[in-house]
Amino acid sequence: MSGNARYVFAVARDLDVAELSGTHGFQGAAVEAVEHEKLAAVVCDVDLAEFGAEPLTRNLEDLAWVERVARTHNEVVWRVAAVSTCAPLRLVTVCADDESVRAKVDSLRAGLEDVLDRIEGRQEWSVKVLVAPRPAGETSPVAPATSGADYLRRKRQASDRRRDLSVEAEHIARDVHDLAHTHAVASRRLAPQDPRLTGRPETMVLNAAYLVEADEHEAFTAALHAAGEQHPSVTVEVEGPWPAYSFAVLE
Amino acid sequence: MSDIDLHASATGLQPGGAGQVSLVDLLDRLLGTGVVLAGDVLISLAGVDLVEIRLKALITSVRADMARRERAEQ
Repeated sequence: MSGNARYVFAVARDLDVAELSGTHGFQGAAVEAVEHEKLAAVVCDVDLAEFGAEPLTRNLEDLAWVERVARTHNEVVWRVAAVSTCAPLRLVTVCADDESVRAKVDSLRAGLEDVLDRIEGRQEWSVKVLVAPRPAGETSPVAPATSGADYLRRKRQASDRRRDLSVEAEHIARDVHDLAHTHAVASRRLAPQDPRLTGRPETMVLNAAYLVEADEHEAFTAALHAAGEQHPSVTVEVEGPWPAYSFAVLE
Repeated sequence: MSDIDLHASATGLQPGGAGQVSLVDLLDRLLGTGVVLAGDVLISLAGVDLVEIRLKALITSVRADMARRERAEQ
């Protein structure tokens, strides 16, 4: 397969395309807007030798390629979100040409308008709750077990302690989520990230996204920082604002 | 959303900012979320969820690699 296609980053409303001048997509291609009535699809040219169906199946197995594409996608979405109301598209959406982009936007117009209404003037915040692993000394008995029964008893106690801790962490995660939700217009819980992917020793017990009014974010972050201080056994991490990725899902 | 609000980030999330967003945080948001506007190229191949499926497979294999490496180190 050869030739070019259009990679679609986002659909925006109230976008002045001049504000995106100097923004680049892949391989230095300029970012352009394909306008359709009041909406604009933000696109750039891509080479089908890289983004065509067959090369994509190979490239999607190359983590370095995925990372490069994800970061470029994110950079463009940030630029668009900074100057418009922006519904980001999922990674690697490729259309044959502008006509096809317009047809897609047209067929989804009602849903897109709903999404844009939902996220206008709002931003996404990420909240994570992490529990540090217990130091080994706290869970293993110092003196050797005096008998088989003693060994089993200690083993059971250690297991009870671990269970109590994880139950406590779950409770805290729920409290933090409830608190964040009261300051948000919508929330979405994501799967906790595996320690092997985060590269951190802590166990994640909450990984959630909140859609917060732009002028409410100080109250939101202040409430969560206070919650973190109230619960010293966990770490509460608040990151944002993100473009509203988690709330741009078409129903 | 105004320019000022988006860039008034306490944690330097924006590209080129102080803190680099981790790939796993990025993929959390770029996979399975966002508006799904299925592209021609993907549809012609295998349907709308192809990208997500392949990326899930990729992440599964990364996890398996990491687990193998951990076991080898122990």
